Amino acid sequence: MIKLSLSFLLTVIVVLLVVLFIFTIYLLFQRQREIRFAEMRDTFLQNYSQHWYNYLINDEIFSIVLVPRQRAQVAAVEIIFSSYLKNIMNDKVEHKIKEFSNLYLKQFYEKDLASKRWSIRMNALYRIADLQIEDLLDTCQQFEKTKISEEEYFQLLKIYSLFQPELFIGKIKESSVHYSESEYRRLFVLLEDDVFIRLFEDFDSWTKNIQFAVIDTAAVKRNMQYIDKLKQLLIHEIPEINIRALKGLYEIGVIDEIDPYVPFVTSDMWEVRLMVAKIFKHVPLNYTYAYLEQLLQDENWWVRSQAAKTIAENKEGIAKLQQFMESSNDQYAIEMAQETVVRKQGNK
Amino acid sequence: MNKLIIAEDLMQEHEVKGYFEILRESVIRSRLTMTAVFFKLANSSQGTDIERHHVNHQISAFLKSKIRKTDLLFQLADGVHWGIFFLQSSEVEVKAFLKRIFAILKQEREFRQIALKASITEIRNNSVNFETLLEKNKQKLANSEQPTWSIEQITDYSEQPTEQVKVSIIEQNAIFRKVLETTLNHLDIPHFTLDVATYEDGYSFLQSDSYKTGHMHLVVMNDILPRKNGLEILHILREMPNEKKFIIYMMSERNSEGATLNAYEGGVDEYIVKPFNLRLLEAKIKRTFARFWL
Repeated sequence: MIKLSLSFLLTVIVVLLVVLFIFTIYLLFQRQREIRFAEMRDTFLQNYSQHWYNYLINDEIFSIVLVPRQRAQVAAVEIIFSSYLKNIMNDKVEHKIKEFSNLYLKQFYEKDLASKRWSIRMNALYRIADLQIEDLLDTCQQFEKTKISEEEYFQLLKIYSLFQPELFIGKIKESSVHYSESEYRRLFVLLEDDVFIRLFEDFDSWTKNIQFAVIDTAAVKRNMQYIDKLKQLLIHEIPEINIRALKGLYEIGVIDEIDPYVPFVTSDMWEVRLMVAKIFKHVPLNYTYAYLEQLLQDENWWVRSQAAKTIAENKEGIAKLQQFMESSNDQYAIEMAQETVVRKQGNK
Repeated sequence: MNKLIIAEDLMQEHEVKGYFEILRESVIRSRLTMTAVFFKLANSSQGTDIERHHVNHQISAFLKSKIRKTDLLFQLADGVHWGIFFLQSSEVEVKAFLKRIFAILKQEREFRQIALKASITEIRNNSVNFETLLEKNKQKLANSEQPTWSIEQITDYSEQPTEQVKVSIIEQNAIFRKVLETTLNHLDIPHFTLDVATYEDGYSFLQSDSYKTGHMHLVVMNDILPRKNGLEILHILREMPNEKKFIIYMMSERNSEGATLNAYEGGVDEYIVKPFNLRLLEAKIKRTFARFWL
């Protein structure tokens, strides 16, 4: 049996109590600091939100009281700026925020980038991009040379894409880090149109994820100037790229000629045929009916269904479907046409 | 003394009086301007009784053939004045009408004996009664210096009443809520005063009961809100019996066709994608209210 002296036990208890006491004091102190921080931030918000409105929206003269002097005040200004940028679109407001941030917030974020804590560094990188603090580009490039995480590098790419697109394109070309499709999309969507369109050059040199992200981003941007670029990809050897290009063209919704799409009506892949049936929604029915009728008799249910829907969306579509039902021998196609007609008439 | 000549198939002054009050009140309720026109024969004392009788019938028949089905033509008790109430018409349209019929009367040979003058009163409020309206127009037309074929104007009733509009801003972000509140409080819309209230979530808006009053109500809200989101509020407001009084603007960060369609089909009047230009919001609201009066 282990024998412990009473004095030893008492000493242990006292030491533990002291540690506990110090820990409690530390917690109370931290809590107090947090409360003070929040109070200071809220006071700034309460006192100066209206001043900020007057300066940003009403073009009133800038007042030095708006300049934050402490961290809590910086946090308040961040809240104000993010509220404006998220909700209001106004070039003048954006310019004023950018100018102010480059002048008065730069030093705070510069210091944050040198922090040992990852979360503080990440937060600084987010703010540099959101508030467009271009003056910190050199600092960011220096920061890249230090040991940084993948997430930080991703944020840096975002910053480069905003401030120096050339550097950005160079970086993703040489980058050893590979991101997911959605991450690339998040980067590309920020690019100006003239920079983004350059991603179509050397298209084949990109990794698959970048290629897919480029096509999908073009669809999201819905810009007419990407139509030709997407049309060029219709003859690409990889079917997935064909399908995505078709989907992108469908999303943009402007079909100026049907010839490039006609060969896809007889494609081996049902997904391709489905996309063509969708695309023909954007073309007058008299140009596409013959192909849609063919797709209505497709072996795949999804293709048949989409072809019927596309026909029915036209003014004369229902009559065409009824005519088809009378003349066709394809029982599956007739059933699909019937179903679509009933649904369409039921909606009216 | 000239004999009083009354056209039998026209409505008479005493018959129209009762209608006038209903028409006048409906101007306010439906916010549709009404314009009254009175004509007087400029040469009423000339010619024999038979000639005057003929002219009188000619004018009555002519005016009757020219008015629309929604216009009310009548003859005044003195036999030398005619009146027309043009419903849902402003003075601009009525002036154009008068110019057109005056040109016909001057041009056609069969109407050469006719010479008219007219006075116009645009009615956009309910502070006028039938007798005063008649009196004022008769006085205008009694002026012997008023040239034939001229058009006088009475502007005493053309000012529309100022209407109070409730405005509810439902937005979670406190800074942006304040921005919207300040912007809408500064918005100057002629003939409407905005009574702006703000709410941070859907539930507090519904608890406020402010939407239950009969006032016209502009609701500017986010689609995503804590405690009852925007789409639920939209549904509740559009299910109310007097849902037409709500003008609903929905703000959203979602710029997809599906979300937009869904909102319009649910009954929003405007769907605004964030971030948006505040001046654009102001312009949209101004246009919305400008449509309310003819």
